Amino acid sequence: MGLEYVRISPGFEKYMPKDYVDLVQYGQFGKEVDVQQLGQFKELVEEHPMCAGCFMAYFIRVFYAALPKPEDTIVIGTAGCARLALSQAAVPFIYGNYGDTNAVASGLKRALNIRFPNKEKDVVVMAGDGGLIDIGFGMTMHSWFRRENFTTIMVDNEVYGNTGGQESGMSPKGVQLKMAPKGKQFEKINAVELAKTAGCVYVAKISPTNPKRIAKTVRRAVLAAREFGPTFIHAYTSCNIEYSIPTEKVLEDARKREKQDFGFYEWMTDEVKEFFEQLERAPQEVKA
Amino acid sequence: MYYVAEVNEADCAKYNCKQCVLFCPEPNTLMYHDKNHVAWVNFPRCKGCAICVYVCSDLLKRNCIQMVMVKAGD
Repeated sequence: MGLEYVRISPGFEKYMPKDYVDLVQYGQFGKEVDVQQLGQFKELVEEHPMCAGCFMAYFIRVFYAALPKPEDTIVIGTAGCARLALSQAAVPFIYGNYGDTNAVASGLKRALNIRFPNKEKDVVVMAGDGGLIDIGFGMTMHSWFRRENFTTIMVDNEVYGNTGGQESGMSPKGVQLKMAPKGKQFEKINAVELAKTAGCVYVAKISPTNPKRIAKTVRRAVLAAREFGPTFIHAYTSCNIEYSIPTEKVLEDARKREKQDFGFYEWMTDEVKEFFEQLERAPQEVKA
Repeated sequence: MYYVAEVNEADCAKYNCKQCVLFCPEPNTLMYHDKNHVAWVNFPRCKGCAICVYVCSDLLKRNCIQMVMVKAGD
């Protein structure tokens, strides 16, 4: 990882696959892209087998465009839908066993700090509600208790989508799923409050209805994790298959849920707030 | 045979809005032409979800995208 590994050695361009050459020439390595430029540069994530109209795939697409330094980032995922796209991106991806993503990320981040003491190396965990809050609950919480410097993103589809539609801790109360015919008996877990209590320095909850806001949230979470401690994003990424949402209505559903229970929420500690006030004010001062 | 999105470029060029591109779930699929200011679809990558049609027709009332049937080899 690093820019020197991404670039093609002179003279070898004609032997490389076209998609890779495009990625190096027209991609986002080594430059800051604005998410509004999507569709005008070669994106990091490639064709993947996620379902048509999947909004988890959409969130992942915007996530990669928002990474501040993709050439110096490692993404960790686990079993679940997200890994189908995460493993198709030009960013190193590690497949943790189910539930241990945050333990793997903790060790990886510490190792990177030892190996590259003078470089910024970002570690981002992206896993589902099952991987992080059900089966991975213990390791997720303990990585936050230990104040590990990496970002955790939960792409919450409110169901075990890969295995036939079992309810998860994040499924809303009362919802009937294919493998939960009685309806869920318990409330949806409040992951955001858990993250705040466990020591995260930046916490956000978001429904993917605004690409610019997703990008700003991802960027803030990655930058705050570098400097201060664990950060957490809870993203609603509906499963249109298990919740029987017609593909063309997926964005409409995200907008509806945003009004109901997934309104944008952002919380950060005072020191993180001060950090972003300085960081995000700086370019305007230069312009003036 | 399956459905893919097709952009009516003449209509699309009037608006310079690009919202469909920003909401497509697939990477490198619904692209934007910098000079002509139109969206265009990389057909082999389109999965036919029609979210772009929802954005263009239902949200923005511009009706520049429609789903069309393609056959192998088109």
